Amino acid sequence: MTPPRTDTVAGMIRPVPMPPDSQVNRDLLAVMKGASSGYWFLLALSLFFMHLAGGIWVYQVYWGLGIAGYAHPVFWGVYIVTFVFWIGIAHAGTLISAILFLFRAKWRNAINRGAEAMTVFAVLTAAQFLGIHVGRMWKSYFILPYPNQRGLWVNFKSPLLWDTFAISTYATISILFLYVGLIPDIAIARDRATGWKKVLYTILSLGWVGSSNQWKAHNRSVLHLSGLATPLVLSVHSVVSWDFAMALVPGWHTTIFAPYFVAGAIFSGFAMVLTLMIPVRRIFGLEAYITDYHFENMSRFILLTSIICGYAYAAEYFISWYSGVEPEQTAFWLRAFGPYWISTWVMIIFNTILPQLLWFKKLRVNVPFLFVLSVCINIGMWFERYVIIVSALSREYNPATWGEFIPSWPEMGILAGSFGFFCTFFLIFLKLFPIVAIAEMKEIAIHEKAHGAQGAD
Amino acid sequence: MARLVGIFELPGQAAAAVVQLRGRGYTDIETYSPAPFTEVDDAVHPKPSRVRLMTLIGGLVGVVTGYAMTIWMANNWQIMVGGKPFSSIPPYTIIAFELTILFGGVLTVLGLFLFGKLPKFKIDPAYSSRFSAEDFGVVVRCREQDVAEIDALLRENDATEVTLVES
Repeated sequence: MTPPRTDTVAGMIRPVPMPPDSQVNRDLLAVMKGASSGYWFLLALSLFFMHLAGGIWVYQVYWGLGIAGYAHPVFWGVYIVTFVFWIGIAHAGTLISAILFLFRAKWRNAINRGAEAMTVFAVLTAAQFLGIHVGRMWKSYFILPYPNQRGLWVNFKSPLLWDTFAISTYATISILFLYVGLIPDIAIARDRATGWKKVLYTILSLGWVGSSNQWKAHNRSVLHLSGLATPLVLSVHSVVSWDFAMALVPGWHTTIFAPYFVAGAIFSGFAMVLTLMIPVRRIFGLEAYITDYHFENMSRFILLTSIICGYAYAAEYFISWYSGVEPEQTAFWLRAFGPYWISTWVMIIFNTILPQLLWFKKLRVNVPFLFVLSVCINIGMWFERYVIIVSALSREYNPATWGEFIPSWPEMGILAGSFGFFCTFFLIFLKLFPIVAIAEMKEIAIHEKAHGAQGAD
Repeated sequence: MARLVGIFELPGQAAAAVVQLRGRGYTDIETYSPAPFTEVDDAVHPKPSRVRLMTLIGGLVGVVTGYAMTIWMANNWQIMVGGKPFSSIPPYTIIAFELTILFGGVLTVLGLFLFGKLPKFKIDPAYSSRFSAEDFGVVVRCREQDVAEIDALLRENDATEVTLVES
C-alpha cells in the first residue's frame, strides 16, 4: 500500500484482511465440532444414571433415610463417603491451575482447562450430597446464618458450619476461576462460530477483544485468583477432614487428618485428570497438545502424593499403637482385620503399593497402564473414605453399640448417579467450550516463534 | 481523524511500534493480542493494573465481615457450647479466612470487569478475528495528515500489513 494522500483517506477504508486461521485454533476448536455416535451413547448413559439417581432420591425423600439403610450406629455412610470423594477429586483442578501457575510450571497449560472444568463439576456433584444425606433436606437452609423469627443463629464452632463456608467459597472461586480463564477462549470461539453458538459465545465472551487493558486486568486477576485459591484449596480439604477429626471417635480424632486429606485429595484428583484426559486426548487426537510429557509429570505428582498417603496410613497405625489407648488400637486393628478388611486392603494396595510402579519411567509414559492405574486409584480413594468413615462409626468406644454397615441399593444407585451427573456436565462442556486453554497454548507457540525469529537474526 | 491498523506477527515488533508511536506523541493507541504478552500491554499501559486494589479491598472486607458476623451472632443469642467463650477466635478464624478468600476473589473478578471494561456491547470495527488467531494489531487514531508518517513507522517495525479503518 502506498501512503495514501490525505484527501482520499475515507475512500481507502476497508476491513482488515483475513489470512487462514491459525493451526492451534483449528485443532482445538475441532474438538467442539460435531459429535460421534460414541459421544451420544456416553451422554445417554450418563443421563440415564443421573436420572436414575434422581428417581431414587425422590423415593428417599418420600420414605426417609431408612431406605438407604441409615440406622444406629452408622448415620454417615456412602453419601458422606461419596461427598468426600468428589471434594477430593475437585482439588486437582485448583492445584493445577493455581499452584502450578504460581510456580510457573508451564506444562500445566495443556491440562489446566480440563482440570478446572473437572473441579467445578466435582464440587457441584459433591455439594448435592450435603442435601442428599440429611433426613429433611427441605430444611438444609438451616445451615446458613440468616435472620429468622426465632432469633437463632448458627453455631460457628461446629466443623459442619466451617464446611458450609469452605465448600461454598470453593465452589464460587472455582467457577470464577474457570470462567475468567475461559473468557479469551470463548471470544476465539465467538469469532468463528455461527448460529445459536455465536449468540451464546457473544454473550459469554462479554465483548472480549484482547486489548491491552483487558489482558492487563486479566493477567492480574488470574494471578490474584491463583494466590487466593492456593490457600483455599489447602483449607477446603482440611476443613472437610475436621468434620471427622474434631469428633471424639476412635480413628477420627487425629491431628494428621488435615495434611493427610489434602494429600489424598490431590492424589485422587490427579488420578481423575488422567482418567478423563487420556480418553479425551485419544478420541480428539490432541496428541500434539497433551503429550506424554504431561502425563509423565502428572504421574510424578501421583507418585509423590501416594507416598505421602502411605506415610499417613503408616503414621495412623503407629500412633494408635504408640498411644496405648485401647479404643484407638482396637479401631485400627479391626480396620485391617475386622469386618471391613477388604476395603482397607483395597485402599492400601491401590493407593500406596500399585502407584510405586511409577518409579519406572517406562510405566510413567505407558498411557494404557496409566489409565488403568488412575481408575484403580479412584477406586482406592473411594474406599479410603469408606474405611475412615464407616469402620470408625461402626466401632466406637462401647462394644455394645457396635453394628455393621452394608451399603444399600439406594446408596449405590445415587453413587452411580453422581458419576452420571459429573460425566453429563463434563461431556456437555467438551462440546461447548475448549477443553485445552487455546490462548495459553498460543502464548507458548508465539513465544517459540519469537525466539525462532531472534535465533535467525 | 483516521485510524490505522498495523498487523504484526510477533509481540516484540508490536511493542516496539507502540513505544515509537508514543515517543512521537501519538497517545490514542490500542493493541489487540491473541494471548497475554506483557511487553505489548505494558507499552500501552505502563502502570500495573488496579485490579490489585480490588483484591485488597475484597480481602479486607472479607476478614472484617467474617469476624464481625461470627462474634456478633454468637453474642446476639448466647448459647454456651462446650464451655467455650462466646467470642471464640480460633473457630471464627476459619470463617473469616473463607470469607477473605470469597470476597477477595469476587472483587478480583469485578476488578477485571471494571478495569478491563467488560462487558463491551460494541466491538471496535478495527478488531478482527485474526487477532484471536495469531496476529497482533496496533490501532492508532491520528489526524489525516499524519497517516503517511504512521504508515511508514508501522512498516519500519515489520508490520506485515497496514490498513485504514473507520474512526
